[in-house]
Amino acid sequence: MAQPQLADVFIELADTLVDDFDVIDFLHVLAERCVQLLDVSAAGLLITDGQGALQVAAASSSDTELLELFQLEAGEGPCLDCFRTGAAVSVEDLSATEQWPRFATAAAEVGFAAVYALPMRLRTDVIGTLNLFTSEPGALAEDKLRTGQALADIATIGLLQQRAIRRRDVLTEQLQVALNSRVLIEQAKGLLAERLHVNVADAFTFLRQSARSRNLRLSDVAQAVLDGTEQVPIGAPRPGRRSPAPGGARA
Amino acid sequence: MSADRVRLWTLVVEQALGAPVTIGHVGAVTVTTAGVDAAGVTVTLAASPRESLYSSGQIAADMEDLTTTLGEGPAIDAVSGGPVLAADLSDAWCQLRWPLFGPAAVEVGVLAVFALPLRIGGIRLGVMDLYRVRPGALDGGQLADALLLADTVCALLLDIDIRADGRQPEGAGLQHPEVHQATGMVIAQLGVSAAVALIRLRAYAYSHDQRLRDVAADVVGRRLRFRPERLTDTEGD
Repeated sequence: MAQPQLADVFIELADTLVDDFDVIDFLHVLAERCVQLLDVSAAGLLITDGQGALQVAAASSSDTELLELFQLEAGEGPCLDCFRTGAAVSVEDLSATEQWPRFATAAAEVGFAAVYALPMRLRTDVIGTLNLFTSEPGALAEDKLRTGQALADIATIGLLQQRAIRRRDVLTEQLQVALNSRVLIEQAKGLLAERLHVNVADAFTFLRQSARSRNLRLSDVAQAVLDGTEQVPIGAPRPGRRSPAPGGARA
Repeated sequence: MSADRVRLWTLVVEQALGAPVTIGHVGAVTVTTAGVDAAGVTVTLAASPRESLYSSGQIAADMEDLTTTLGEGPAIDAVSGGPVLAADLSDAWCQLRWPLFGPAAVEVGVLAVFALPLRIGGIRLGVMDLYRVRPGALDGGQLADALLLADTVCALLLDIDIRADGRQPEGAGLQHPEVHQATGMVIAQLGVSAAVALIRLRAYAYSHDQRLRDVAADVVGRRLRFRPERLTDTEGD
């Protein structure tokens, strides 16, 4: 994919924000654009669940190992430090750091050498972090860090959905809805993956295409899939010839 | 398992005084830790639209009746949405939002309602309501504890047939995406609702003494399939 221009990405994201948009879908697009614009290997957004923990809201790929790494980082790593202090954290060479040994090992196993965490700030609150990984060690250029922070700020605006958030509990309401929507989408991905005999990453692509092509919100399509009112999304392969049932244990 | 989760579960087990933990015990701990005057749990799963499962006392019972009768209020909105935190029911915003429920609640003497959905993605189990007789928002710590305890109520509701010992149930919330992906896959494998699929996954993990996320990873990795039971499958929603 050609590298998009910064202005195009901001216009795309701003366009989304004026519609009745789906927040998790929006955050996924944002994570994907981070990878393209900032020339990093992976990006993820983690947000607070109001229960003192961070949860993965969106990532640039559905790769299970990547998601597990983000989830691990929710408990130990630069992301958590960034969330707690509200300051950006750059680790230019993960192999040289002695902090967070579990996280550093897991990141190296997936092939990452450096990590950057940028805060998603709302006045005095930090509601989450934007997390970037690169496969080569080294500092992220100053202009890329600034762009990254601008994207993190847009993610915050998207999460709060134009509402005037004056009280912290309203913020919690909003974040809880976003995280529940994420769970709903995961459930629908699993259902489609099983029904269409595809992996969960492809199931997510079908779900998104289906929502986009009919201008529906991703979470509404996901709910319809779960409720059984939506069988196969548009653009998905028909479940045609059944491959023999995979082996393995049976419950 | 987070430190807060362990701390709250310890309180719940103490509350149970050696008996198996019930939703009532969680409710009682919620009243204390969230600093509220009453709490109630309503389920919305089965055929009947709303069923009160637990009330901490008369205030909660009255409020649950009021909500069911009027068909509006924070507890109704929270079933399909996110948490609804109404810190002062006498203020104009609340009175406007719930024109029947608002005045009626104030009349009963309840000035604040916090309705926390018992929801796991597309699975809507019900709602946990917290009540205060004086207006006032939950502070950050109280809200965090209440959300964690609501998650515990979800876990107990899902594990209702399998829990005989004092082991802490696994959380029902986000944490590991593969659990929710596996839920979706089991829906298709068994032809059951999302709630039943998750119940079956949790029961499998529990009876095999495995972590839920490991069982889920096996399902997503297609190393484990669930098969419909041959006999009359009476499992409903």
